Amino acid sequence: MGKGQPSYTDEELLAGIRHGDDRALAHMYRQYLPTVIHLVTQNSGTEDEAKDIYQEGVMVFYEKVREGTLELSCQIKTYLYAVCRRLWLKRLAEKGRYGGRLDDFEPYLETGAEADLADAEERDRQFALMSEALVRLGEPCRSLLEGFYLLDKSMQQLTAEHGYTNADNAKNQKYKCLVRLKKLFFTQYKEEPLS
Amino acid sequence: MMTEADYYAFFDDYLQDRLEAPVRQNLERRLAADPVLAERFADYQRLTGTLHAYGQRLRVSDKLRAIQAEIDAEQETTVETGRANMPVMRISRTEQWLREFWQGHRATMGVAASVAIMAVFATLLGLQWWNTRNITSPAGYAKLRLEVAQLKNAQKKDRRVMNQVINQIGATPPPVQGKFSGTGFALTSDGYIVTSYHVIQGADSVLIEGRDKQRFRAEPVFSDVAHDLTILRINDRRFNGFGRLPYTVKRRQAELGEKVYTLGYPREDQVYNDGSLSARSGFEGDTGFYQISIPVNPGNSGGPVLDDRGNLIGVISGRQMDVQSAAFATKSSYLARLVDSLSAANNPHVYNLPKQNQLTGQTRPQQLRKLQDFVFVVKVFE
Repeated sequence: MGKGQPSYTDEELLAGIRHGDDRALAHMYRQYLPTVIHLVTQNSGTEDEAKDIYQEGVMVFYEKVREGTLELSCQIKTYLYAVCRRLWLKRLAEKGRYGGRLDDFEPYLETGAEADLADAEERDRQFALMSEALVRLGEPCRSLLEGFYLLDKSMQQLTAEHGYTNADNAKNQKYKCLVRLKKLFFTQYKEEPLS
Repeated sequence: MMTEADYYAFFDDYLQDRLEAPVRQNLERRLAADPVLAERFADYQRLTGTLHAYGQRLRVSDKLRAIQAEIDAEQETTVETGRANMPVMRISRTEQWLREFWQGHRATMGVAASVAIMAVFATLLGLQWWNTRNITSPAGYAKLRLEVAQLKNAQKKDRRVMNQVINQIGATPPPVQGKFSGTGFALTSDGYIVTSYHVIQGADSVLIEGRDKQRFRAEPVFSDVAHDLTILRINDRRFNGFGRLPYTVKRRQAELGEKVYTLGYPREDQVYNDGSLSARSGFEGDTGFYQISIPVNPGNSGGPVLDDRGNLIGVISGRQMDVQSAAFATKSSYLARLVDSLSAANNPHVYNLPKQNQLTGQTRPQQLRKLQDFVFVVKVFE
């Protein structure tokens, strides 16, 4: 890099991300971006597609780290490469342009990325269901729950925004909304077979 | 009676560790004993867990996009020149895209360009070949053309007009034995024969065949490329002379409008044709040739042209393609001069040209009867 930024080892990066250090995340993001752009652009993709893929890949990595379930048996670089490679193959297959071969530029190892990707897919599905359930929940429950869980607002803030007399009222309202959301979410969740 | 919402508040307090110890222990006991309650608790955990994770996903996604936007902003307008002391270059997005396109596809474009160039030239050459091919019909034409070109080079006639292609009459559709054939006639009684140079051009061996189907091996002894003449010598032990030749070689120019005729082998049999002397110059004004109005065909080349009185006045050489019955014959004066110069050369062989003409004053059939034994097929093997 050599741009006056501190250089991290893999362990430092992992620790930083686990504790929610945004600088570590940004540093890691910058460091391994070129590899993935190279991989995708050399395999009939555009740079924008490469960035999309890379963000997806970093997200998989990030969520595993935050969950504390990542079992990293190789360098972060290799792991990210494997994840993004897999993601790009999938994208190519969806586009119907996959010729069955990918030109590799990094040693490609078994990294456990495959299993992690399956987890990530399941998570994506849940998030999609959740987002749908929130839409069907209607106002004001939706803004209340989104404000609390997605936008990370405090109860006091929400009380003021929604015009409740006190925080306890808002809290009770939140629990009622949660019960309704639960019904919407789990009916859909259980309708679809768990893969 | 607690509503489900009350339970959620209860679970929330439990998870946030806001319950007093006895209440907590009581709840833990109930969770262990009551499966319905345990499931309700699990659902609550899953729901809030998913919500938290979803929130985190959205936030991190925003963060990543922000990082990417920052990187893009850094790279958007500057391109590293790769050298530290060089200023960075500012280029537009379009140009950057063009650069990337060129980087990624220049090999492909190079290949495509060369293929296009090759295709263009192949098409041009193919069209030219096709056009020239369409001018003629007989088989063996290419060979003829080659002879034309070489002959004309020798004659230094570079100003050839494309549609005035002179066609050498040196090749018939080949009989089984030879590749090309033409006509030849006796020059002396001791076995010298005259034919056109282009008939024997490139020959490995030459066979002479008379009307009686007798064959003799022959070899060229001298060629005059400029006037399309070759003298052959029969080189065969069985050969014992032609006998006296009935015609003489005319040394002066023949007159315009004289009746002339020829005898030749455009096919397996001797063929007679007659006409007049049309001009005292040949193709494109070549003064070494006559133009004669005798219809000639491939195979007539090298045949004798005689006038009414039985004088040899020329040797058939070629014809002009786009003019009706315009044939060309080498003037006999060149043949006579050639024989003279050979006789005068260092290692002379005496060429006894016939002195006495036996054809004068005779009818055409009588002349032909005497002539026919002295005209031969010249068969050429390559």
